[in-house]
Amino acid sequence: MESSDQFNFSLFRPRNLHGRKNRNVILNMLLVWAVAVFGFQILLRIIEKPTPEKALADFNSVWPDATVRDLKTVNYQTLLNSLILVKGKNMVNTDDQMILNKAISTITFSVAPDSLKSKMLSEISEIKELKSKIALSDGQEFLDIKSSILTLEKGFLENTALFTGLKSGSLEEKIYTASLTDEYPAALSDASLDRLPEIMKLYLTHNQSVLTDTLFLGFPFHYFYTAIFLLILFIGLCILYNVLIEWRLKKEGVTE
Amino acid sequence: MKKLYASIVIVLLVSLRLSAESLTQLEGSFKTGPAIILIATLLTFVLVGIFFRAKDPADYYAAGRKISKVGSGMAIASNWMSAASVLGMAGMMYGFGYNGLAYVVGWTGGYVLLLILMAAQIRKYGKYTAPDFIGDRYYSRDLRIVSAIFTILISFAYCVGQFGGIGLMFKWILGLDYSWAVIIGSSVVLLYTLISGMIGATKNMQIQYVIIVVSFLIPTFIMAFKFDYFWLIPQIGYGAAVTDIVQGIPAPNISNGVALLNAYGHDLSIVPSPEFAMPWDPSTGTTFFQWMAICFSLMVGTAGLPHVIQRFYVVPKVTDARWSVVWGLFFICIVYWTAPAYSSFGKLLSSNPEVGVLAKDAIVVYTAQLAGVNSLVVGLLAAGAISAAFSTVSGLLVAGASAFSHDLYVRVINPASTPRRQLQVARIGTIIMALAVTIVALLKLGLIAQLVSVAFSMAACTIFPLFLLGIWWSGSNRTGAKAGLFAGILVTTISLTYFIVGLGGGRLPGQEFISYWLNVWYFAWIGAPLAVIVNIVVSKFSAPTPLEIKRFLAEQVHN
Repeated sequence: MESSDQFNFSLFRPRNLHGRKNRNVILNMLLVWAVAVFGFQILLRIIEKPTPEKALADFNSVWPDATVRDLKTVNYQTLLNSLILVKGKNMVNTDDQMILNKAISTITFSVAPDSLKSKMLSEISEIKELKSKIALSDGQEFLDIKSSILTLEKGFLENTALFTGLKSGSLEEKIYTASLTDEYPAALSDASLDRLPEIMKLYLTHNQSVLTDTLFLGFPFHYFYTAIFLLILFIGLCILYNVLIEWRLKKEGVTE
Repeated sequence: MKKLYASIVIVLLVSLRLSAESLTQLEGSFKTGPAIILIATLLTFVLVGIFFRAKDPADYYAAGRKISKVGSGMAIASNWMSAASVLGMAGMMYGFGYNGLAYVVGWTGGYVLLLILMAAQIRKYGKYTAPDFIGDRYYSRDLRIVSAIFTILISFAYCVGQFGGIGLMFKWILGLDYSWAVIIGSSVVLLYTLISGMIGATKNMQIQYVIIVVSFLIPTFIMAFKFDYFWLIPQIGYGAAVTDIVQGIPAPNISNGVALLNAYGHDLSIVPSPEFAMPWDPSTGTTFFQWMAICFSLMVGTAGLPHVIQRFYVVPKVTDARWSVVWGLFFICIVYWTAPAYSSFGKLLSSNPEVGVLAKDAIVVYTAQLAGVNSLVVGLLAAGAISAAFSTVSGLLVAGASAFSHDLYVRVINPASTPRRQLQVARIGTIIMALAVTIVALLKLGLIAQLVSVAFSMAACTIFPLFLLGIWWSGSNRTGAKAGLFAGILVTTISLTYFIVGLGGGRLPGQEFISYWLNVWYFAWIGAPLAVIVNIVVSKFSAPTPLEIKRFLAEQVHN
């Protein structure tokens, strides 16, 4: 009479030699797979260090003084540059963008000569109004508004270049003009800017290590490993498994 | 057959000629070229669907088991590569940096599990559908019914993201409102699935795969060449773009004395943005835990998705089931190696504040547009994205309809039904499901990849543990399976409840805790292991598996 136990089967307790060999192949494959995928990420996590960008050091060197007294123009420029570098990242959320815009505008008007301030303010308002119109326009109207914005921005930048220190035609200059607002606090010590150091730290600190800083085929190594190599490994594991299993089946004369 | 291919070629050539004469407008209006390509592509699918349409239930469910391993591999890849792969994945990397790669790894690494633990054994077991296997293996009508319901729910959740993707592309091409675009796109995909069934779908999937790959690869060669990266293998060439993003490119970037510009005439320049590539960067709002949880959930979910498992019923031999996984994975990887290139180029091209942040789910098409790629090629890319969504949706609707007709209607409600009646019920099931999915897709509940990942977590918590233990442990019995399934469903329900309440602006006790640790995009990290453990523990203390099941497993499934 057949016993129920006779057909008991599990991956970890195979019934015969064929099963044991199969189990070994499967467990080894799973081990390689798990270590390659999760082991590498754990390694990344273990060796990473929060690494600030240079812009954060620049910001931190100037910010404490900026909230208590007027700075030299060159220090305002340092501050402005560091803020622009954060504003230019397109992962910044909307609330943080508003705070950065305010800070950039406050610095601009802190540095600008009094004789220019009212003109600058009216130009900013005009650009803002045109930008709200351009979103709803098309065809020739779109081109006309676009041309007006460019003309206004060009004039504005010519007037401010001396004290902002931004290079003409640079990306930073475009980020700068896109950030200006006519609703800004009078001083950098204003409560609405209290979160600024926190925002700068958030966007300018990254988890880096030797694995992220080493380049391989143009990639940061960890990026290459995850985006390219792991997929090659998966295909390789699958081919290896099939070849091993079919070789064994053939050798043992097993027909599926 | 030759006449069919000839007519397809003629339709495509005429449409290419016509569309070449029209230019693509950038946004918000009807785009003639891409529209012609889309219509020609859909026409091709319908022709193939009619030519290879299902003639009986065996054809409808499992393509009559006539598909070769390479063909099945292409069908697996096409079936797999949905709007989430073609549109959503690049969007996740664009929006969340390195954490987006968890989707790339999760959606490919799961195939290793699928091959090693499932593919051949499922084929050897010899059932048509996932509920068929579960009902038979666990000798339980209740489990068959519950797993059939979950097969429908999983297919449903998966379809929501796809219909969203179809809507986005129809919106982009036709210049329509999103809601109308979803309705039109859904109607077309439903019509196609109804007239084709799986045999037509399987043939179509092979054609769709070619369209997806060709349309997805061509723009990356063009963009890499245009922006002076290594264009011969853009899948490697974009690595330098990633490094450029990390280190920043001061304007203007000059190649052979000519400044590199995007389609708006902006210099290809960017401020240093290490957050794009650095692991779980704080500014992306993602964490190490989330990377691991998403990756694990997607991997395990892959091995539990009914419409993926169902692909192994259509191959003639067990060895074909194994090799079709390898071919399928290879074909999938071709697209997955390429997707990050779109996010990288998209990041570079949208760095100018005048361009601004792009809509994540449309990043692939927008990137090609911003790069100034020919409108014809961008149109083909959009058609490829729609093909990807179509091929997956047809497989999902068939899987859902199979569960409804084969596992609920025939096995439970009306066992004496005729094959003709079964086919009718399958088609009615398809229509009901498509209508319901369309309604949910109109709500825009999340990004495509995120919506799809809900289906993965559901599959990982419910179907995967039943297959894993059902195949690999004869001691797993009906009571254990029911307990394990209950645990999986419980975790799923908790996660979904908190998500829905949160969407409505409400708060339940521990809302933040659950939203992070049992997030709806990755709750399987705990749900799947829990379901397995509960299944094992309860099985140990309940009536053993019947002799005939153990014998079948030992002799038929494990030689």
